[in-house]
Amino acid sequence: MGAIEDRIKSLGYMVPDAATPVANYVTTVHVKSAGLVFTSGHVPRNADGSFWAGKLGVDISVDEAYKAAQNCVLGILGSLKNELGDLDRVTRVVKVLCLVNSAPDFTDHPLVANGASDLLVEIFGDKGKHARSAVGLSSLPGNVCIEVEMVVEVS
Amino acid sequence: MGTPEDKIAQMGLELPPLQQPVANYVSAVQTGNLLFLSGAGPAVPRGDNMLTGKLGRDLSVDEGYEAARSVGLVQIARLKNELGELSRVGRIVKLLAMVNSTPDFTDHPTVINGCSDLLVEVFGDAGRHARSAVGMANLPFGIPVEIEIIVEVVD
Repeated sequence: MGAIEDRIKSLGYMVPDAATPVANYVTTVHVKSAGLVFTSGHVPRNADGSFWAGKLGVDISVDEAYKAAQNCVLGILGSLKNELGDLDRVTRVVKVLCLVNSAPDFTDHPLVANGASDLLVEIFGDKGKHARSAVGLSSLPGNVCIEVEMVVEVS
Repeated sequence: MGTPEDKIAQMGLELPPLQQPVANYVSAVQTGNLLFLSGAGPAVPRGDNMLTGKLGRDLSVDEGYEAARSVGLVQIARLKNELGELSRVGRIVKLLAMVNSTPDFTDHPTVINGCSDLLVEVFGDAGRHARSAVGMANLPFGIPVEIEIIVEVVD
């Protein structure tokens, strides 16, 4: 097991198996000519595998959605491990897009997205510091509360 | 094995005429081997009006699927214009697929399969991509679907 996965375990988290796409797409595309991996949007799952649903500003709190954002990142790391074999090959988290299912008057998107960002920096240190956009969507597939996609640089 | 152009002809499809960007941006930018396509809406048939409507209110999922397929053809037409030959598409890397939808709409993946299915039919394995599918409160001119695409290009 690589150093990054050791670190994830020591933080009390687990990298899940690679996500299974819900439609006609793949979870990751590795563009070797550019040294970049693009991930699909990953959605948060409850322990029983069901979608972690909710709309911010309506029926789910910022604190809970923060945890859902963490859950998305762990799902992405599962897909990246499947693509790369070893998460130690991630040399930089380049860009994160956090898509928050929210009511029209919701404004705390950054606090929700921090669930993803804080965890990435905890796990990868300086390599985990990324550019990011966090935005509100009027609806998301399966009414999940958040969807997260990433671009990472790999060796 | 025929070219993607052959495949499009076999499928009885025709690439729509290019449309100019509606504001101060360009349709495509290439950096290194990556080509970034601006968001596009469905093709506008000659002498007809632009397709508009919101999923969950005005349009069925099947109609949304057809709209997403039409967006795929618009983006393939842009690729043909940029690259000359569609065989220069090394990989369709990533879609960001935005569905104009009501707050309670949840079937975004089925709608966006309209574009994903087309890309896989035309480009085969090179068409298998990562993607995020999300619901927007509104889209320019009221179009039902807007999709942006990142493509890896080969010489």
